[in-house]
Amino acid sequence: MKGKTAHTRSPVSGIYRKKSPFTGLLEHMDKVKECTSILEDALVKYYRGDIKDFDKSAKKISELEHEADLIKGNIRSHLPSSILMPVDKKYFVWLLREQDAILDHAENLAQLMDMRHTNIPIKLKELFIEHVHLVADTVNEMDKVISKVKDLVESSFVRKDREEVKSYIRNVHRKEWEADQRRYELAKEIYKMEKELPPMDIYHLLKIADWTDDIADHAENVADWMRALIAK
Amino acid sequence: MIFGMEPMTFLLVIVAIISGLYMAWNIGANDVANSMSTAVGAKAITLRQAVLIAAILNFLGAIFLGSDVKHTLEKGIVNTDMIGDPHTVMLGFLASILAAAIFVTIATWKELPVSTTHAIIGGITGFGFITGGTDAIIWGKLGEVASSWILSPVAGAVIAFLVFRSIVHFVFASGKPEESAKKFGPLFIGLTFFIIFISLFTKTHLGDMLFTGEKQIIFCSIAVFVVSAVAGIFIVGRMAIGEGYDAVEFLFRKLQIITSCYVALSHGANDVANAIAPLSVVVTTALENTSLAGSDFSYYLLALGGIGIAAGIMTWGYKVMRTLGSKITALTNTRGFSVDFGTATTVLVASRLGLPISTSHTVVGAIIGVGLAKGLEAVDLSVIKKIVYSWAFTLPAAIILSILIYRGLSIVF
Repeated sequence: MKGKTAHTRSPVSGIYRKKSPFTGLLEHMDKVKECTSILEDALVKYYRGDIKDFDKSAKKISELEHEADLIKGNIRSHLPSSILMPVDKKYFVWLLREQDAILDHAENLAQLMDMRHTNIPIKLKELFIEHVHLVADTVNEMDKVISKVKDLVESSFVRKDREEVKSYIRNVHRKEWEADQRRYELAKEIYKMEKELPPMDIYHLLKIADWTDDIADHAENVADWMRALIAK
Repeated sequence: MIFGMEPMTFLLVIVAIISGLYMAWNIGANDVANSMSTAVGAKAITLRQAVLIAAILNFLGAIFLGSDVKHTLEKGIVNTDMIGDPHTVMLGFLASILAAAIFVTIATWKELPVSTTHAIIGGITGFGFITGGTDAIIWGKLGEVASSWILSPVAGAVIAFLVFRSIVHFVFASGKPEESAKKFGPLFIGLTFFIIFISLFTKTHLGDMLFTGEKQIIFCSIAVFVVSAVAGIFIVGRMAIGEGYDAVEFLFRKLQIITSCYVALSHGANDVANAIAPLSVVVTTALENTSLAGSDFSYYLLALGGIGIAAGIMTWGYKVMRTLGSKITALTNTRGFSVDFGTATTVLVASRLGLPISTSHTVVGAIIGVGLAKGLEAVDLSVIKKIVYSWAFTLPAAIILSILIYRGLSIVF
């Protein structure tokens, strides 16, 4: 006897996975959400000049990134070729990869900003704050897309659920576009200041704007993979 | 002389009865759990309810629907006229049942997903082969049975696929899924009763007693469909189930109680013969030269098998159900309902066609069917490979075991 379970010769027991890959995806998304929300708050404070607790936030983001990595690894190592999913497994894995990239970029950004406390010029402050809010909004819209996966799976991808998801995906695209516009403005303003500021400051300001924006890009990629995932 | 039999013959009959009961117990202890696990896993019924439903309905299925498969195992695989000597026939069928029993016990211990049905067919073929040669085997029927082993999981898959797709189409895709479920669910319950009714009475002893012709049976079956569907719509129409997909699952959780009964009934119908058919041949042959010759013990033997299965469920099967149920939590009720319906319909139809099939493998087919209908979050198809291996392994193993046991028995008796 194996532990306390009875001996069986049942073929049924081997057919299911202990945990659904979609449950794993949602758990991973929880980490992403927590991480971007911490990052958003930390960046806003940073832009306003409050860098007191930034190192703690950066550390927390790193921890979340690591926890999410474990979830991702667990999902992927439990998807051998014999597993049949209701969606294209390749798309699913790409989606997961892009979702994980959000965390990687959040971590890189937080670490970079923790390494060098670049002073944000007063006239750029509001632009930076607006930008990070738009990036966080993009992730929040993407979260709606991912959260709908539960209903999609339950209803076996009926049209009305797919249409709902598509409308969320459009919102992600809109927010990402808005974030892009803000980044162009930022870049323009930063270049205008190239005579006034030390080159290293310019470099860092550009880098912060770029890396923040990368998060929105990856959120958009997640939405695009979801679009492919639900395509008939 | 005991009951007009030689003492050795009597002893042989007793051994056959014990092994037959042991086989029935085995079916109850293991195979039933496999088919009930979807309902237990989906929390449609509690473990206690599952045991009760399985015991009662397996018993009823065995008595009222078990005779077609029993007939196939008795007369369809080996042509006993070619063997001639009644003593050889008795020893042979005893050997086949012992071979199957031993094989199944080892398989259970080793947790191999083999089928009781395949084991007993292997056992019968084995002894038939060495006592009567290749001519004694009815190859046509054996081929039919073997092909039904491939066809039955496929049929289970197709039916479960269609049931699930229609739930998606008529319920999930509708604007108010909970309202649609209330209308659509009972239709399937009506269909369940229709199939059960028509199987119970078409060309059966019971049907001959109660009805005068097939037209009458068909008419009554349609009446049963309409009445049960309307009654179902009426009953669930009054249920407060809430809204959305959760409400749909809640409703199907209730409906799955019916389909799990359907599974248990069909299971009894198909599997009782695995234990009882060889025993029946032994008993009938032993009584040939006694005052009891010619009497029909079929129903008593089927009832004995039903009791054996019920005992297996109650003494051991519940443990297996609990183990499996805890592993199958991923299955929601709409999915469980589809799997149950696909399995039970396939097994019941096969039973009435006299085809001994594996219920467990049909369940697997049905689950894969729902998976192919995009109803499951993840299905591990490597189980198919395991089942194919079990086919390839069970038959030769049971054949060889049966031959060895027959040789041994010929020395003793």
